[in-house]
Amino acid sequence: MKPKSAGTAGCVLAAAGVATILVVHWMVAFWVPTEASMGVVQRIFYVHVPAAWTSFLAFGLAALASAAYLWLEDERADAAAVAAAEGGLVFGALMLTSGPLWAKIAWGTYWEWDPRLTLTLLLWFTYLGYFLVRGSVSDPRKGRRLAAVVAVAGALNIPLIHVSVSWFRSIHPDAVVIKPDGPTLHPDMLATLLVSLAGFTLLFLGLFCLRYSVEVMSRRRPPAGAPPGASS
Amino acid sequence: MRELRWIWLFAAKDLRTELRSGGRLPAMAAFVVLAGFLFAVSLDRTQIPSRSVAAGLLWLVVLFAAIAGAGRTFDLEDRHGAFRHVLLAPVSRRAVFLGKTAANLVLLWLATALAFVAVTAFLGVRSPGALVAHGAVLLPGTVGLAAVGTFFGRVSSHSSLGDTLLPVLALPLLVPVVFFGATATARVFLDRPWPEVAGPVRLLWAFALGALAAGAVLFRHTAED
Amino acid sequence: MTLEGRDLVCDYGPTRALDGVSASAQAGAILAVFGPNGAGKTTLLKALSGERRLDGGRVLFDGVPVSGTDPAWRARVGVVSHRTGLYEKLTVEENLRFFAGLHGQRAADDALRTALNRVGASALAAARVGELSRGQRQRAALARTLLHDPEVVFLDEPFTGLDPDGAALLEAALAELSTGKRIVVLATHDVARGLRLADRFLVLRCGRVALEDAAVGHQAPDVTAAFDATAALAPAEVAG
Repeated sequence: MKPKSAGTAGCVLAAAGVATILVVHWMVAFWVPTEASMGVVQRIFYVHVPAAWTSFLAFGLAALASAAYLWLEDERADAAAVAAAEGGLVFGALMLTSGPLWAKIAWGTYWEWDPRLTLTLLLWFTYLGYFLVRGSVSDPRKGRRLAAVVAVAGALNIPLIHVSVSWFRSIHPDAVVIKPDGPTLHPDMLATLLVSLAGFTLLFLGLFCLRYSVEVMSRRRPPAGAPPGASS
Repeated sequence: MRELRWIWLFAAKDLRTELRSGGRLPAMAAFVVLAGFLFAVSLDRTQIPSRSVAAGLLWLVVLFAAIAGAGRTFDLEDRHGAFRHVLLAPVSRRAVFLGKTAANLVLLWLATALAFVAVTAFLGVRSPGALVAHGAVLLPGTVGLAAVGTFFGRVSSHSSLGDTLLPVLALPLLVPVVFFGATATARVFLDRPWPEVAGPVRLLWAFALGALAAGAVLFRHTAED
Repeated sequence: MTLEGRDLVCDYGPTRALDGVSASAQAGAILAVFGPNGAGKTTLLKALSGERRLDGGRVLFDGVPVSGTDPAWRARVGVVSHRTGLYEKLTVEENLRFFAGLHGQRAADDALRTALNRVGASALAAARVGELSRGQRQRAALARTLLHDPEVVFLDEPFTGLDPDGAALLEAALAELSTGKRIVVLATHDVARGLRLADRFLVLRCGRVALEDAAVGHQAPDVTAAFDATAALAPAEVAG
């Protein structure tokens, strides 16, 4: 995609995402019924779950784009990987802070050895390493390649991390949305969650496109003959 | 055949260099013993049964020894620019990675043996279980540690953060090794039958072979300019 | 045999280290690369040897494109730089055997001895590299490069830090190197010595070729003048 059209698409998607998330806030505050057993704190759920989904989407995208960069050595794949990884860090941080807040009230402790939470934490640190590598290697192209290697190695390790953390007894709430005999969630809660999922996904995709276009444009060289230092 | 010869050449060169570097091996030995000592001092052993924490502590000591060892391994290559000439030779990058991993692994075994003695002695673990079973757990675990450490040792050697970066990169990946390793070792300490140990050991092997394969494939991306 | 770089481009991030450099070197002759610091001398050598990936242009050996990712090409290349590239804790002989092994050679004793003899370093075989003087190390490094009998030899500031005796020995070894069918490319900021040794030379400035000519008939000052006299050069000379 051309950076300019990616930028335009990013603005539209991000605006739609922000608008949807504003609607979600209204729904969460005034519309959706309070869950019986967990009380008002359950409303964090409408931020936590979409943030988790978005960060997995982002990290997955970053790993795929990194593998593509190693394979094809196409700068655009690296720009996409950076854009996705930054989104993953932001939404991952949201998930990692909202999760313990909920857990403290629902389960009595901030940290629970839940597989998904632990996996996100480790992925979050892997992508922190991704950016540390990029930033600390003097030759930018080498930095990009090494960062891509970190992302790919991290992705390869996901199955084993998943198995190892699953060995701890999981006390995470069971999946309540996708069940063979239909969702057990109250229809209004389900509606709020789905709107929130859509809003977070739109916002992420918008930020992704914007960041991608900025990244691609910032790597353009100045036209030949431009004085040194004129590059942006 | 040629690959095996390269791997051997590299491992032999690294080990010879290590042996002649004087302080390195004694320093590592001292580190391992001191780490075991400090762990033992930091725990209230009237509250915690030694055998249940010994496994976790042993794996942490081995993990730190692996990271500390891996951090230096490319220092020696880069200090006078020798690695440039290695990369210029028509040698496969895979063989370079596997050779360096093999050398790190041998050193890690020495550290592991010492760590085992130190941890069991300082924590007062009586009847630590069958040594063969411990070996069968530690072997795949150390292979995984050496492979990941060597790989990210190369990645962080390009970075201005150097050895500070290495643990940040390697530790998230090494969680399965520490977890399955400590689980299996704890069961050996408790003299549980082998079938109870075999599960985590299989996963340790899966990690070790996966790390060797991934490192062998990806290493060329970390090696070249 | 001809080694030819065509329109070579190399970027280090936003900095363009080589900006469309073309250069060619012939067998049996020495090509010297001059230029101020940061002009792209080392990058040009790395681009030609295949160590550095190109962002544009290509390298041809006898008209066939070559790449540093190809082991067959790497086997034909040798490099000597101001960093010795030897392991300090190993003896000269152990170093040579190790690198010969990487080249797939069993390093027979007499091949090793021949290589050391050619650079006047046969007495050093059993000494650890860390205990040698700068000049001795540089000779050992040269012997390492000769061991696999490369067709193309790149020398990147090989005289840096050498005392006059060491430099004279290296010069003699270099002269011997270029006889026969080898292509030799020498990057140095020591213009007078470079002109004495080389058959052809080129001057790099800011990643471009500023001057290219036969070494005969040139004096160091007029070559050095090209280091910074941008505007004074006629376009024909720039095109080289």
